[in-house]
Amino acid sequence: MLKKLQSGLAVSVVALLGAMAPAQAEVTVDFWHSFGGSSGEALDEIIALFEAENPDIKIQAEHVGNYEDIVTRLQAAIPARRAPDAVILEVTRYGLFAEREVLIDLTPYLDADPLRDDLYDYAREVGVYEGKNYIVPFNSSTPVLYYNRAILERAGIEGEPSLTTFEEVEAVARQIQENLGDEGVFGIAAPGQFARWGLVMGNDSNLIDPATGDIWLDAPNTIEAYDWMSSLVYEHGLASVDAVTAENNGRDAFYAGNVGIMFNSTGNYTSSRAAVGEDLVVRPMPCNKACSVPIGGAGIGILASSEQDVQDAAYKFINFAASAEANAIWFAATGYMPINRHTPDHPVAIEALETQPGIDVAINQLDYAQGRPRPPVVTWMRTSEYDLWEAIALGQRDVTEALTDFAQRTRTEAARLSQ
Amino acid sequence: MSRKLIPYLFVAPMIAFIALFTYIPILTSVDLSFRDWDFLSPDKPFVGLKNYDLILGSHEFWNALRVTAIFTVVSVPLRLALALAIASFLIRETGASRILRGAFFLPSVTSTVSIAVVFSWVFATDHGMANGLIQALGGSRVQWLQTPSLALTVLIIVNTWKQLGYDIIIYIAALQAVPNELYDAASVDGGRKFHVFRRVTFPLVMPTTYFLLVVSVIEAFQVFTIVDVMTRGGPAGGTTMLVTLLYRIGFSLFDIGQGSALAVMLFVILVVLAFVKSKILGKRVHYAS
Repeated sequence: MLKKLQSGLAVSVVALLGAMAPAQAEVTVDFWHSFGGSSGEALDEIIALFEAENPDIKIQAEHVGNYEDIVTRLQAAIPARRAPDAVILEVTRYGLFAEREVLIDLTPYLDADPLRDDLYDYAREVGVYEGKNYIVPFNSSTPVLYYNRAILERAGIEGEPSLTTFEEVEAVARQIQENLGDEGVFGIAAPGQFARWGLVMGNDSNLIDPATGDIWLDAPNTIEAYDWMSSLVYEHGLASVDAVTAENNGRDAFYAGNVGIMFNSTGNYTSSRAAVGEDLVVRPMPCNKACSVPIGGAGIGILASSEQDVQDAAYKFINFAASAEANAIWFAATGYMPINRHTPDHPVAIEALETQPGIDVAINQLDYAQGRPRPPVVTWMRTSEYDLWEAIALGQRDVTEALTDFAQRTRTEAARLSQ
Repeated sequence: MSRKLIPYLFVAPMIAFIALFTYIPILTSVDLSFRDWDFLSPDKPFVGLKNYDLILGSHEFWNALRVTAIFTVVSVPLRLALALAIASFLIRETGASRILRGAFFLPSVTSTVSIAVVFSWVFATDHGMANGLIQALGGSRVQWLQTPSLALTVLIIVNTWKQLGYDIIIYIAALQAVPNELYDAASVDGGRKFHVFRRVTFPLVMPTTYFLLVVSVIEAFQVFTIVDVMTRGGPAGGTTMLVTLLYRIGFSLFDIGQGSALAVMLFVILVVLAFVKSKILGKRVHYAS
């Protein structure tokens, strides 16, 4: 009886270990990202395709919130040793994580990977910090100009208006406001921070010199661009003040058909099209004094705290996510720019380019798109810029005085951070 | 010996819990306030009083202290006065008063984020309900959340509305504990309603007022969610409270040293305020019946 019990137990243990064996062989990659809604569904599709090709790797994806939420949660998770293995990081915010060696250097992986040659130049550049590659772009974007054709027609604007200079944009916004203002329609949405950066670059300036890291917040062309942007709100009343204190209000009002023109990321293409339909028109950002737009979005980095086999598995996923197949799915579903040179030739992307008018505008802007500088002070500057923008857009501070003061404070902070 | 240890064993789990989740974090904050750390670096170099010096030398700190002080000075008396007045009406045990007590208490148990989001829509300048009402009455749009003083006023209104129900319930309990004989005696002496309230009711609910004052001042100094959702400290710093600034320094700017220094200073401010309150009001609080 005892022998039978012992042999039975032994069989059970062997069977149990056998059942556990495949689970032990599987590598799980915890992956934090910032995509909900239709973007989240597209990401799920890419993950499912990857897992089908790599049955020994499981991608445990978690939607953590927006870029800022990810950074905040990562800060708390790292000292608590609960950080993920891979994470989406916005292109101007990964510098500090790279500098503190929280992220691993992906250069050895990329150097041995044919993917490197498939990436657009910009896609290779945005992941480089001080000569090393820390992220591979996943969702890349530039700001573009969206307008609602039906609103323009109701305002008496026929055909395709020229929207190349600030003056032309303002004239169209003014005509919308004058003709439809009584219906609660605004000419233009107050630009969000990404678009503000783009409009400064379109005025032949920048916030920080990408080459030297010098602060350009008080450069004459930067001041001129901010002066124009704030005048849309405070001086001319062409943009609602609600979008100054809460940026998404401008986007939401555009979706609701209460705004004629909006500057926003190409990542908003799919949502804008879903809201506005065939009346959505996408145009390049204005080239007021120069044609230049910032590259935004985010890339995937791998954390140094993960085991080597998990890091290898995470890189496999990064490689797959940057492949033409996955990138075409992502591009077609969201409007984010292709990062792989072969993406536009993929059938999924070809169909999107044929059936979704305007989705190619961001790609066409790539000729003059630039990666933004990403020294540690950028985090401080971007966090503090909201107060500056609110003060000048609401007419509470003089533009030149406010930007001169802000530039000085940014220089002081940059000096402090570099110590 | 073992009998003497038994009481300590009973309280040991709670002491361990409080030590783990309250005292150790406080002491850690104090320690971090003397260090330079960004959550990421393995090193946390000791920098002495540098973080306190930076905080005290920053315009943002003094602005946040001023805004928090205004918020507290206006919202706390408003809350307590309204709560006592409403509680005086709702003290009677009628069906209507029971329903109203529930109605007033409802915001206290409602998600703060939901309340803040809804009021953001109500006070939106261009398509908000408040301005819709004003315009329907012939007025013009008000920039509620874009004008610093108005934005702060809106936050005070919303916070008062949210917290009022709790204060009302506490005051009702206190008012119900006042012996009827005292009112009867006052009535026999010909006391008018206001005098009865001033001479009988108010002194007897003073312990409750003192308790609510202490609690609501702490709450006012620590207000965060409503501000973060409705204004994010804007416009242009006009509603930046001390905790909003603390969060920004610590979690947006990665400066845990300065964030901790600000947390310690906030703690000291609250302790000093509690001491001042006890010195000024303590003598007027009588617990004996």
